[in-house]
Amino acid sequence: MNLLDSLKAILTIAYKEFVHVWRDRRVLLLILVLPPFFTLVFGHAFEGTATRDVSTMFLDADGSVESKKFAELLHGKDVLGALVEGSDSPEKVRKDLNDLLQNLKDTFAWKPWVGDPKGPIDLVRNGADAAIVIPAGWGKSLKDGKPIAMRAVLDGSDTNTAPSVQAVLQTALGTFQLNERYELIKNLPPEVVDLGEQLSPESQHEFSSSLTPWEFDTEILYNPKLLFVDYVVPGMVGLILQLVTVTLIASTITREREVGTLSQLLVTPLRQSEIVIGKVLPYLFISMFLIVGTIAIGHLHFGIKISEPLLLSVVCFLFLLCSLGLGLLISAFSKTQTQAIQFSVFLLLPIILLSGAFAPLSQLPGSIRIFSELFPLTHFCRAFRSVNMYQADFGAIAADLLALAVGAVITCIGAAYLLRTADD
Amino acid sequence: MPKPLILLKDLAKKFGHTAAVDKISMSIGQGEVFGFLGANGAGKTTTIRMLCGLTKPTGGAATIDGLDVWKDRFRIRSKFGYVSQKFSLYSDLTVRENLRFFAGAYRQAHIHDRVDRMVKEMDLEPYRDARAAKLSGGYRQLLSMACALIHEPALLFLDEPTAGLDPVHRQQIWDFLYQVTLSGTTIFVTTHYMDEAERCTDVGFVQRGRLVAKGSPRELKQGLGGDLLEVHVEPPMPAVLELRKFPGITSVDLRSGRLRLHAADPQALLEQWQQYWPFPGLKWLGYSWVEPDMEDVFNAYAQGRHVQNQVQAAVK
Repeated sequence: MNLLDSLKAILTIAYKEFVHVWRDRRVLLLILVLPPFFTLVFGHAFEGTATRDVSTMFLDADGSVESKKFAELLHGKDVLGALVEGSDSPEKVRKDLNDLLQNLKDTFAWKPWVGDPKGPIDLVRNGADAAIVIPAGWGKSLKDGKPIAMRAVLDGSDTNTAPSVQAVLQTALGTFQLNERYELIKNLPPEVVDLGEQLSPESQHEFSSSLTPWEFDTEILYNPKLLFVDYVVPGMVGLILQLVTVTLIASTITREREVGTLSQLLVTPLRQSEIVIGKVLPYLFISMFLIVGTIAIGHLHFGIKISEPLLLSVVCFLFLLCSLGLGLLISAFSKTQTQAIQFSVFLLLPIILLSGAFAPLSQLPGSIRIFSELFPLTHFCRAFRSVNMYQADFGAIAADLLALAVGAVITCIGAAYLLRTADD
Repeated sequence: MPKPLILLKDLAKKFGHTAAVDKISMSIGQGEVFGFLGANGAGKTTTIRMLCGLTKPTGGAATIDGLDVWKDRFRIRSKFGYVSQKFSLYSDLTVRENLRFFAGAYRQAHIHDRVDRMVKEMDLEPYRDARAAKLSGGYRQLLSMACALIHEPALLFLDEPTAGLDPVHRQQIWDFLYQVTLSGTTIFVTTHYMDEAERCTDVGFVQRGRLVAKGSPRELKQGLGGDLLEVHVEPPMPAVLELRKFPGITSVDLRSGRLRLHAADPQALLEQWQQYWPFPGLKWLGYSWVEPDMEDVFNAYAQGRHVQNQVQAAVK
């Protein structure tokens, strides 16, 4: 058959489908407003991962000079002057200290102590997420050379809060200890200093080294500011587009089946392949427009870097094509629009949870990851992040692109095959 | 008999264990207006959908112009037009957009000229830019037909094109169908309206999936075995109920105030009544003999009485 005739037939259907969307003002509004809106809302929702405003009960049962000082530190007061003065690089220490104080202020929302400091502590009943007790005699125990432990009670139910509270407490205590050490050195009696100077230079250096904190110079690659938003925006954009494409196109064939126009279409010489391509084209156009728009919001509003726009376009294009094919397959398979929407919802649920849009795929067990590979969103997220965060080239994401392309072809052929009759 | 265009041979369709169409064999000639009659659920729509290649026959075969309706369905699609039972156009598209879409789908050249001509022919000019959803029932049907005829097919299938329309629009649609037949187009139409069956050149009765009669309206009326007895009785409504119970009468229709009787032997009945009128509550005012119309034929076939009457006629 003539290729030009085929092209004309495809454009005839594409135009008609476009008019359907264009004239359905509610759907049009929905697809033009919701994706950018969701990108903004979700983006801000997942912007920071730091644990904030943990409702914490605090009790200083000791009341010594040391305990009061540590309590002030926990509340974000700058009481560690010796640490900065005694350091070789005061600027760096000052900056780290300020970060710590800010972190402490952000992390804790303090509330008064209720209950017995030694007995079991009920967080839930007191409306708290954490409880910190400086036990009586703590200050004295430091001087006696037998420091006793402070008590922290944390809520482990959400698996996130407890470790991050524990980490900030440990850092605060470590920094406090370091400060005390500097104060100790500063106030050493001259005899000790004289004694120290009699030691061999090697021993002096070794001793001095043991008093300095040893640390990693950590270098964080790919997402140096550890902004979760950089990681999550591609997942979010993909998820929104996955939702829009599948639900939009899922009703196109079933609507025609319900209204009866499908019979009218099938008695024309249009071939099934022409119908499928003609139906996918306008939605591909619309969703490409949407994906560019939402990524632009990610770039302009959230400051997401975009590298390799050309390669990313290929990723987006194949992902949308595959998603539309999936929606069309659902549409051709369903008898009614209601069914089509039901199928879409049940398909989208595992896609949302298992595609790695929000959490790394590596957190899932291997047997579940096999399912993940079936979803277009999985390949989109991986390919997009590989290019955008790891600066991967075409070769590195070829497998994902191939998977998306194969998915698109299989779903479209499946939809065309299911179109061969109006009923049965 | 003109050259056959459509040939059905034992065409059958089963849905599960139910036979929707039960081995129908017939032929329809070129240029005919074939009326396919039958009660709801008799299998008319299923037959049309099989002929259009929309559903696969489960038995037998049918050909249009020598091509198998299922195996060659892609090749014969450009040869016919199909107007389905319910309104099946895009209601959010305008009249001209619908026509243009189908002209494009049928791969026609000079789409704009063709659409403009069709709009004029169909009296759709005032509504050409109105959304199809806004059209009244009659104009919707005209538009459906216009879309089905946009590629000037030699055969047109219409599934109850006048159902639910007022007499003026029914007339308009039939006038248009006659105009279409002038160019030699064959028409295959299903209908419930017996006055429309009169307008067909050939009629087929289908009942529970079986073809029980086929012929021209005249032939079918003659098959009923002569004229029918019509009696003039007052008051008519109670009379219908009373007479239906009378032995020897199979059915009674009220037509323009007279009771039209279907009976095994109306002559004997009349002679009996002229001697003794058995209904004291009803007043006898006279009688006449009338020629049966298609409605009588339809009722007779629907009740399976034609066989009996034909035997009766043969005895006479």
